[in-house]
Amino acid sequence: MSEEYEVPEGLYYTEEHEWLKVLDDGNALMGITDYAQKQLHEIVYVELPEVGRDVERMDTIGTVESVKAVSDVYSPISGTIVEVNEALLDSPELLNEDPYGDGWIAKMKPKNLDADLKELMTAEEYKKHIEALQH
Amino acid sequence: MELRRTQLYKYHKEHGRLIEFAGFEMPVWFEGIIPEHNAVRNAVGIFDTSHMGRMRAEGLDAERFLNYMVTNDISALEPGRGLYTVMCNERGGIVDDLIIYKLTPDHFFVVYNASNREKDFNWFKRHSDGFDVELKDVSDEIAMIAVQGPKALRTLEKISSSPLSDVERFQIVELELSGVEAMAARTGYTGEDGFEVFIFDATPERPEKALKVWDSLLEAGEEFGIKPCGLGARDSLRLEAGLCLYGNDIDEDINPLEARLRWVVKFKKPSDFIGREALLRIREEGVKRFRVGIKMEERGIPRKGYEIWDGEGEEKIGVVTSGGYSPTLNVGIAMGYVPREYRKLGTPVRINIRGRLARGKIVKFHPFYDETKYGWRRVEG
Repeated sequence: MSEEYEVPEGLYYTEEHEWLKVLDDGNALMGITDYAQKQLHEIVYVELPEVGRDVERMDTIGTVESVKAVSDVYSPISGTIVEVNEALLDSPELLNEDPYGDGWIAKMKPKNLDADLKELMTAEEYKKHIEALQH
Repeated sequence: MELRRTQLYKYHKEHGRLIEFAGFEMPVWFEGIIPEHNAVRNAVGIFDTSHMGRMRAEGLDAERFLNYMVTNDISALEPGRGLYTVMCNERGGIVDDLIIYKLTPDHFFVVYNASNREKDFNWFKRHSDGFDVELKDVSDEIAMIAVQGPKALRTLEKISSSPLSDVERFQIVELELSGVEAMAARTGYTGEDGFEVFIFDATPERPEKALKVWDSLLEAGEEFGIKPCGLGARDSLRLEAGLCLYGNDIDEDINPLEARLRWVVKFKKPSDFIGREALLRIREEGVKRFRVGIKMEERGIPRKGYEIWDGEGEEKIGVVTSGGYSPTLNVGIAMGYVPREYRKLGTPVRINIRGRLARGKIVKFHPFYDETKYGWRRVEG
């Protein structure tokens, strides 16, 4: 059984399988990647960060649990949590169904966006990263 | 280390997500744990359990030998019947839990955990001196498939040479399945009605007979919505049924009295057994902790190793030995050990979920679910 993973262009990625999308208003959305949700498979539980919390890049800001496994969610950048996707509390399966859309986890106000983006991977780089993990 | 493969590996490789378990390369799921779990609770599912240990014990002393090895009473068995038991070490700790079938008065068939295949066989061997008994590890020449769920009987009957509705719980019968010689026992590890079938003459090198039965079962069960199931659903189903997993809920440092397996310890059976003295002493002194079931009262999933705290969150009172999300109850459930005073149903407890003391309570756990709606005791039309 082999699997294909969706990696949209224009997003930024962490090695721990979070994505970041910079919005026009200067804020950024984050979530977990298609690879992450497929590895976890049936997600049944999500813990979200508190709105207003200041976080450093790669701080643990939440937890995603499948039937079998628990996985931490890391912040791709430093900044402030300005909104969380509360729909996930009742419908954690959104993370499986639409990881880059309705399954977003948090909206953040970045602190050092330009510097942090340099630490993240492009779609091309992230594709290579997950390819390497499969061997 | 090279992982071992079962007779059904070809199917798993093609259709399943594979993981390592007990040295075997096994499917954790095919479609997903939740749909597979629900198929077994509501209809039927099949599991490859060929990684488990199977042993024949034959000889004039076979019964006397096994009765010395295990805590339950083999001498009470009629031919064609089996029973669940544990075997203990001299300290009363559980070496393994197992099922023993009496095929004839001097021929027994023993089924034990995959993770203990070598340990158990050596443990039996080591104690067999002086008994007229021949022990043979047949794990690699007999494949094993569990057919589980309220539609298991009707599924299996479609490929069986004989009717099966009169086969009782823990009875074992010889039969042909799709023309292949086999045995079927009315047992399982899911809480549901069902059978565990043993397919003769099927080794990992010559798996044709095992694959034939597996494929015929999938075809026979199609009208009921049968699903092939992996180890993930096997674990969530047995947890909901309150059944022990060796290495989690029981091990060599846990005795059957605290594990709430007192019913398989027959102190009054005619012969001595390993661990009897230690268990009598433990009973005399009083059991200090008990296996309990816990249901979460707020969001959160308890997992193996998480701490159990008292209801006020003042002190740690135990540890979760198995935990997870219950698809049937749609809530986190767990088993673990707590001191005697906390075992009463309804007692509030807390689970330390990554630093948060989440509320739960002690509940009936054998099984966790409503037995009028789920499980083998319900009446299925």
